[in-house]
Order: sequence, then structure tokens, then C-alpha cells
Amino acid sequence: MALFFGALAFVILASRVTTLSGTTPPPWLIAVEVGVLMAMPYILLRLVDDFTQLRALVKRVAEVGFVVGVIATAATVPALPPPVTLYIVGYFFVVSLYCAIAFIKASRRARGVTRRRMEAVSLGSILLGTNLVLAGLTPLAPEDNRAILQALGQVLGLSSAIAYYLGFAPPPILRRAWQEPELRSFLARAASLPRLPTTLDIVRELERGATNSTGTAARIGLWQEDTSKLRFWEDDDTTVDIEPGRNFAGRAFELQRPIFSANPIRDNPDGAASYRSRNIGAVLATPITAGERRLGVLAFSAERAPIFAVSDIELAGLLADQAAVVLESRVLIDHATRVRAREEATRLKEDFLSAAAHDLKTPLTTVVAQAEFLERRAVREPSAPADLAGIRRVVRESKRLAGLVGDLLDATRLEQGRLIGEREPVDLATLAQEVCAHDAADLGLCQVEAAAPVVGAYDRRRVEQLLQNLVENAKKYSPDRTPIKIKVWQEGAEARVAVEDFGIGIPAADLPRIFERFSRASNVDDKRFHGMGLGLFICRGIVEEHGGRIWVESEVGKGSTFHVALPIANGRRLN
Amino acid sequence: MMVLWAGGPPHSEEPPSGSKARPRTGGDGQQDTVLVVDDDTSILDTVSSILTGEGYHVVSAATGEEALAAVARKAPALILLDMRMPVMDGWAVARALRAQGITVPIVVMTAAESAKRWADEVGAEGYLAKPFGLDDLLATVERFRGPGGRAN
Repeated sequence: MALFFGALAFVILASRVTTLSGTTPPPWLIAVEVGVLMAMPYILLRLVDDFTQLRALVKRVAEVGFVVGVIATAATVPALPPPVTLYIVGYFFVVSLYCAIAFIKASRRARGVTRRRMEAVSLGSILLGTNLVLAGLTPLAPEDNRAILQALGQVLGLSSAIAYYLGFAPPPILRRAWQEPELRSFLARAASLPRLPTTLDIVRELERGATNSTGTAARIGLWQEDTSKLRFWEDDDTTVDIEPGRNFAGRAFELQRPIFSANPIRDNPDGAASYRSRNIGAVLATPITAGERRLGVLAFSAERAPIFAVSDIELAGLLADQAAVVLESRVLIDHATRVRAREEATRLKEDFLSAAAHDLKTPLTTVVAQAEFLERRAVREPSAPADLAGIRRVVRESKRLAGLVGDLLDATRLEQGRLIGEREPVDLATLAQEVCAHDAADLGLCQVEAAAPVVGAYDRRRVEQLLQNLVENAKKYSPDRTPIKIKVWQEGAEARVAVEDFGIGIPAADLPRIFERFSRASNVDDKRFHGMGLGLFICRGIVEEHGGRIWVESEVGKGSTFHVALPIANGRRLN
Repeated sequence: MMVLWAGGPPHSEEPPSGSKARPRTGGDGQQDTVLVVDDDTSILDTVSSILTGEGYHVVSAATGEEALAAVARKAPALILLDMRMPVMDGWAVARALRAQGITVPIVVMTAAESAKRWADEVGAEGYLAKPFGLDDLLATVERFRGPGGRAN
């Protein structure tokens, strides 16, 4: 770069001196001047190579062209014949144009600061190319216009020099000015980042902000406690895990300081193939750390080292700190969410206990008061006939109490995931018949349709409870004397049961919650139907602990069909 | 698993035959009427039969609406009022009575922890926390029953 600027300064200075002194320069000076001038496009080409990849062939061709031009000039100086002049002008033009195109392409690929820099350099190349062509053409121009052309050339040369300077080595003020809008928008978004739905979304946003701010490709690797590795996400969301100490990211994480490499292929031969295929010529990795907590690494990569400026290490540190704040906030938010969920669970448990207590106290009131009254009566009037109605109430409410206690215990077992006990081969068709026949009064109203036995390995008592609950439910919500149908069949690897009634049905709005604890359809009259709303919750638990599914189809006023699908494969093993 | 069948028409409550209980009367010599309101038929029947057996005239109501109608017809000396009932709950019944200027003593019956607070809320004279025993029930009724009389 220094060489390029030195050559540029020399050419401008030499032409200034010649113009001011008004003397014709000696032939050797002209030869040197032309030689240096000839070298300029080649030096420019090398500069392009510093920032973006050039093919070796292009460099070789440019070198040959340069040598040919110098020899031709040296042989014919001071009177350059038209073909030599034309060759030199053509060489300038082609190489400058190539460089300008290469820089424009690089600027298209780049983002943020790098894009601005490449744009400045492209402009410089176009100006320089024009200048060089102009300089080459000047000797051919009519005598009168040469002074104007020379002045124009000097303006162009100066402009291109300024553009190159701004592009190749932007002063910190300009760099900051270019970075400012990107940084500003990144920081403005940072506050909202922790609330994005997933950590990956946050990582993507942080990467985008860091990429735009530095003008280099930024990647974030997050430390995974479970695997003790840094995890990076590729564009297609596949993951790459890196052990601490490996690659630049792993080293930056282990050493907890920024690592810079201007030649990653040399510094980390293991990753050479990857660096080549991704066209990575420089890497900067900075740890993301919040206090004592090591969260991960922010890694930047660029085509060529000069794309990074010295201040980029500092900037990378600031961006990593910002990323740490965002990621740490996310952790805190997640933590707060978990705490809230726990509180919610506790509250639900308290609700559950208070609802359960309420529901138990109601039958208990009858049992206690009625039994005491029966006792008092028996003592007072031993000869009086038994108060049958009172005794029946005690019996009925005691049973209701027993049922409620059973449901509560089942719901508790279900929460602990130990509702299902020992499994044995169970024929669901036979079981359905038994459940139907259980209440002799309903015989004929409860019909089982089953073409063949359907045998699986189930907890017999629980599956029986499931069928009983569904049948009782169907009876409960059906008008008297309307039939209930149980269908049992096999479908693929699943045993299927459907319990169908023609009762009041369930409103569509209640269907999603029907299997939840304490859930009851809104059209259920509490006065007529006792229960804690645990029945279907327990049914779902029985089915799901068997690895099956339960769902319901219903239409208000037409009836409901509860479907159960249980895996059957484990039953075959038993048989 | 025990499946329970509740509901069906409430048993008609006759005082158990052979009852020797003497009628409970107020100052005017008329038998005191107690209105029992509860949506749970077992509790309704139990409380009704106990109070009948103890010599009270009992009117039972399974809903808030029935309760209001019974108050207008029977002018009870005391109302035993369940709080949690569908449609028209205990609060609504108490509000409606007070709005009509009826000052029959009310005793709240509830299984909730907040029995006392609820009693205060509706301006009830007392409360019976479920599950209550026979002695609680009888002592509370005896303590809070008012003069009774014809409704306006």
C-alpha cells in the first residue's frame, strides 16, 4: 500500500517539478518516470489482491505486460513510437478497468464499513484509470491542449489518491462515521432482542448487527454446558460444534481474549480446507463473557486481513459485550419465566387442594350430620322403625366420598406418572362386554360392537376404569333410556375403542379443555352432575401412560363419541 | 373405581315415623318455619329431615329462585343458605331479600374456608362451616331463629 502511494506521489511530484521548472527533463528521469508509471497498474492489482482474491493467472499476465512495457519504453526513450504509446495506454486501461471491476464486485459482497471502503477504492480506481489513460494520451494531443490535459490529470490523480486513502486506510473519524448508523440501529434493536422467541433468533440478529457494524462476516458460537462445546449455527440451521482450544473461536473462548489471524490457513492448518472453500483470509474471534459467566464467542471472518482495522478488535470487544448483555438478559428472562411457571403450578395445586377440600366436605356434611341424627334417634326411640331414607343417604354419600377420594389419589398418581401398574394381555372386546354388563339394569342400552378379540398388554384395572368412566360419562350426559355404543376394533398397530352416546353433547368451545383437570363443559348442570371434573383427566392419563391417544367428537344436542387408540404391538410380544 | 350416581328426584321428606319431637314454636305459639337452601340434594334432605325430626317446620329450596319464592310464601323464622349455587348463588339471594326489606335472619352454609367472611359480606347472623355435625346445626338454628311471621 505504501509502495502504491509512494509511486503515486512520485509521479505527481515529478510532473509538478517539470511543469514548474519549465525545463525539459533529462531522458533518464523520463524513463524512470514512465517506468514507475508503468508499475502503477500492477501495484494497484496487488492492492486489489490484498482485499479480495485474484486469480494467479491474472497476476502473471499483468506481470508479463508490465515487463514488456518497461523494456519497450527503455528501448525507445525519449521518442516513444505510437505503437509503444498505444501499448502502454492499453495496458493502463485494461489493468485499471480490471481493478475497478474487482473492487466494485468486492463492494457488492461486502456490508457496512467494508462496503463503503470498497466503494471509495472503486472510485479511486476509476479515477486513476482515467488519469493514467489521460497521461498516456497527453503526448499525442495537440500542443495547445497539453497544459489543460496535464492539469486535469493532476486533479484526477489527487482525487483518486484521496479516494484510495479513504478506502484503504480510512481515518478513525470517517470509520466511526461509517460505522455509526449500523451500530446505532444494532444498539436500538438490542433492547428488544432478548424477547425474541428462540435463542437462535437472538443469535441470528446479533450476527446480523455485528456483520453490518464491522463489515465482516460475524458468527456467534454459544457455549453448551451439556456437551462442553461451542455451538455455531450455519445459514441452513445445521450446527457445528467446536471444542474449546480448537480453531480460533475455541482458543479465544479458552484464553478469554481476542484472537486475530491474518493467515488462518497457516495458523490453523486443520481448518485450511474450510477457510479455502469459504474464501476466508482473516479471522478475529472475541469471547462473549458476562462477568464470570462464559457465554460463547463472537467470530469475524473476512476475505483478506486488511479489511480489518486495528480499531476492529476494540469494536469486536464492544459488540461481544453487547451480545453478552443480550444473551444474559435472555437467560434471566427464561429464569423468570420458569419461576413464574413454578408459581403458577403452585397456585394450581392450591386451587386443586381447595377445590378438592370443598368437594369432599359436601358429602361429608351429609355423612356426619345424618349419621349423628340416626344415632340420636336410635338412642331416643329404640323401638322406632329404621329411617331408611336417612340410612340410604349416608350410604350414598359415603360412596360418593370414596369415589372422590379415589379420583384424587388417581390424579396425584397421574401427576407422578405412576398411574399404570403391571401389564398383562387384555382383550378389550371382552372387557367392554364386562363393563357394559356391569349394571344389569342398563343391559340392552349398552351395546358392544366387536368383530374379533383385540388383545394388547395393558394394566387391566386401569383400562377397565377407563372404559367405566367413559360409559358412566356417556350415561350421565344422556337422557334416560337412550343407548350407548362401544365399538372395539383393530386398526394397524393400534387397538381402537369408541364410546358413543346420543346425549347433550359438548359445546365446541369446551372441547379443547375437556381432558383437563377440573374442566367441565359449560352446558353441564352442576346440580345434577356431581364430580370433581377429574374423570376425563384421569382417562387421558390412563391412555397416555399406555402410549395411546384419546380424543372426542361431539355435537351439542346430538351426542358425543370418545375415541381411544392404544398401541397393540407390545401385546403381541406378551402373547 | 367407584362410579357414583347422584341426582334423581329428591326423596320426599316426611318426619321419620314415630318421632316424638315436640313442635318448636316462637313467641306467638306458631310452629317456626326454617327455610333450607342448598343445591346439593343430599345435604338438603339431611338438614331438612333432621330439623323436621327436631320439631321445626321445614321448607327446602334447591335453587336461589325457589328460595325467594319460599320466603315470600312461608315467612320463615330462619334461612339456612348455601353460598355456591349455580345461576343464583347465596350472595344474590341475600341481596334480593335485603332489597325487598326482608330481615329474616340468615345463616350461611358453606364448605369454603372463608365462611365467616362470606357471612359478614351478606350480613348474615351466623355461619355453619361444612362439614358440620348435628349439635352445631341444632345449636345454630336455635340461637339465630327470629320471630318469623307473615310475609309482606
